[in-house]
Amino acid sequence: MVPLARKTLVHEWRRFLPSALAVAFSGLLLLVQAALVFGIFNSSAVYIRKSGGELWLGYPGTQSIELGRPIPQQAEIAALMDPAVERVEPFNWIDGDWRGPADKGGVSVFVSGIDTRSDALMFADALTPALRALLDEPDGVIVDRADLPKLGLDVGGQAVVNGHRVRIVGVGSGLRALGGVNIVTSLATSRRLDNGDSDGRVAYYVVKLRDGSDAAAVRQRLQPRGQARRFEVWTRDAFARRAVAYWMFETGAGLGVVLLAIVVFVVGALITSQTLMGAVAGSIREYATLHALGVGFARLRRVVLEQAAWVGAFGLVVGGVATALVVLLAHRRDVPVQLDLVTVAICATLVMGIALLSGLAAVRALRHADPALLLR
Amino acid sequence: MDATLVADALSKSFTTGAVRTDVLRDLSIEIAAGELTLVSGPSGCGKSTLLAILSGLLRPDGGRAFALGQDLARLEPAELERFRLQHTGFVFQGFNLFPALSALEQVMLPLGYLGLGDALARRRAGDALAEVGLGSRMQLRPAELSGGEKQRVAIARALAKEPQLLFADEPTSALDAANGQIVIDTLHRIARTHGATVLCVSHDPRLVGHADRVLAMEDGRILADRRVAASRSP
Ligand SMILES: Nc1ncnc2c1ncn2[C@@H]1O[C@H](COP(=O)(O)OP(=O)(O)O)[C@@H](O)[C@H]1O
Ligand SMILES: [Mg+2]
Repeated sequence: MVPLARKTLVHEWRRFLPSALAVAFSGLLLLVQAALVFGIFNSSAVYIRKSGGELWLGYPGTQSIELGRPIPQQAEIAALMDPAVERVEPFNWIDGDWRGPADKGGVSVFVSGIDTRSDALMFADALTPALRALLDEPDGVIVDRADLPKLGLDVGGQAVVNGHRVRIVGVGSGLRALGGVNIVTSLATSRRLDNGDSDGRVAYYVVKLRDGSDAAAVRQRLQPRGQARRFEVWTRDAFARRAVAYWMFETGAGLGVVLLAIVVFVVGALITSQTLMGAVAGSIREYATLHALGVGFARLRRVVLEQAAWVGAFGLVVGGVATALVVLLAHRRDVPVQLDLVTVAICATLVMGIALLSGLAAVRALRHADPALLLR
Repeated sequence: MDATLVADALSKSFTTGAVRTDVLRDLSIEIAAGELTLVSGPSGCGKSTLLAILSGLLRPDGGRAFALGQDLARLEPAELERFRLQHTGFVFQGFNLFPALSALEQVMLPLGYLGLGDALARRRAGDALAEVGLGSRMQLRPAELSGGEKQRVAIARALAKEPQLLFADEPTSALDAANGQIVIDTLHRIARTHGATVLCVSHDPRLVGHADRVLAMEDGRILADRRVAASRSP
C-alpha cells in the first residue's frame, strides 16, 4: 500500500507545520500548567511528606498545615499511652510578623518550631543534623535559600519577629511555604516568639510508630470520639492529601486548571482542524479522482485521520521535549514544579485527542471530493 | 458487435435559480469495446454530463444507462463505487496527481485500494507506465514532469486497474498540440490492444482524426455518428 498520508506529510511539511506546532504548544501549556499547579500545591504538603512519623495529631478539621492551631497536651499523653507508639514529637506552628531591613517592610511569616535532636522527625529529609543543631542557639532561625532575597538578609543577618530579635543561623532548601515565608526555629525559640499566646501548647504532634505497626489501626485507636473532641488524628498521607485538596479546591485554583485546560484544548483543536482542512482542500481534486476511480470515502477518511495522528504524535514529542526543558529550568530556579506519570498520561491523551478531533473535523472537508468537480 | 455502454433515451436537466436548462434531451447511443469513441461538440453541449451518467457518477432524470450490461440505476451508491473500482478508469482535463508521490506510486495507489499486494501492484504499475512511454521516468514526482507526461501518468493510473471501461473528459485540453496527439494516440492504442471501451469527450476538433468513431453532439443531442478510416490510427 502506498503510504499516501505519510508521504504527503513529509513532502508538504510546511503545510502541516502550523498544526503540529499548535498541538505541541497545547501540550506544552497543559503540561507546564499541570506541573506548576501540582508543584505549588504539593509544596503545601511538602513538610508533611518530607518528615518522618506515620501519624499527625492536630486541631480538629485542620485542612492544611498553615491553618494549625494549638492543641492540648492531652493529645501527646494519649499518644504516648498507646503500645504501638515509639515516639511523639511536638511541632509548633505559629504566625509571625518579620521586620528585617527597613527597605523590606514587614513580611508575614510562618514559624515552625521543631525538635533539634539529630534523629528528629520534622523536616527529616530537608535539614541535616548539623544544620538542625545550629537551631540550639537561642533565637537562631533557618530559612529557605530562595526566601533570602524576600527577607533582604543573608546568613548572620538579624531581624525582629513578633517583637523578638532573631538571627539567621543557616539556610536550607525544601522549606518554602505557600502564602508566606517559612522560618524554622527550635521549639524553645518558637515558644518565645509566641509571646505566651498558646500557653506552651503546640499545633501538632508527629507520632512515630514501632516497626510493623498498622498506622490506620493506631489512628482509629487514638482518634477521639464524640462532639467535643479537641484534637484529630490523620495518617501522614491523608494529612498531606488534605493539604493539596484544600489548596486545589478551596482556593478555586483547581477549577482554574480545568478551565484553562478546556481553553487550551478548544483553541488547539480549532487551529489544528483548520490546518488539516486546508491540507485536505489543497488535495481535493486528487481525492476526487480517487473517488471517481472507486475509492470509498471511508478509505479517504483514513488518510486524513492518519495525518492527524502523525501531527499529534509529532506535536506530542516536541511539546514533551519543550516541557522537559521548562521543568528543568524551573528546578534550577527553585520554582516548585511536579509532574507524575498519571498527569503526563492525561495530558498526552488530551493532546492526541486534540489532533484526532481535528482530524474528524477535517474529514468533513472531504465531502467536497465530488468527481463532478473534475468534469467542469 | 455488442455494446458495452448503452444510453437509452437519457434526459437530464439542471436548475440554477429559476432557470431550468435541458442538458440531455432523449439521447440514445451504443458504444462498443475495442475502439476509441469520441463525442465531439462545443462547450456546454452536455458532453461531460453524458460521460458522468454513463460512468455512474451522475443519475439521469429519465431514460436508462447500461454499463457492461448492468443497469446503473439499480445499483446502490456503495455498489456503484464498487463497480467503478473494478471496471472503470478515468482521465480528466486536470491531471490531479498527488504532489508527494512518484509516478510509480501514483499508479500503484488505486491498485492498493483494489486489494492488490505491493509486489503485484508495483509490477502492474510499471507495465502501465512503460505502456504510456514513461518506463524511464517512474521515480519522478509531478513537479518534475511535463504536462504531457503528467497526463500519461494519469492514463497509466487509470489503465493499471485493467478496466473494461475507460472514460476521458477533455484529456488534451490542457496540453499543446504535440502532447495532445501523443495522449489521444495512447488512448486509441489502449482501446485496440486491451479491448477496452474508451469513451472520450472533447470540444477539440483536432482529435477527430484520431478516433475510430466520432459522435457529433450539439445542444444535448447526437447529430451525427460516423466512422473514421482505420488507416489514421498508429
Ligand atoms: N451541476 C450542474 N449544475 C448546474 N448546471 C450544470 C451542472 N453541470 C453542468 N451544468 C450545465 O449543463 C450544461 C452542460 O454541461 P457539460 O455537460 O459540462 O457540457 P460540456 O462538457 O459539453 O462542456 C452547461 O450549460 C452547464 O453549465
Ligand atoms: Mg465538459
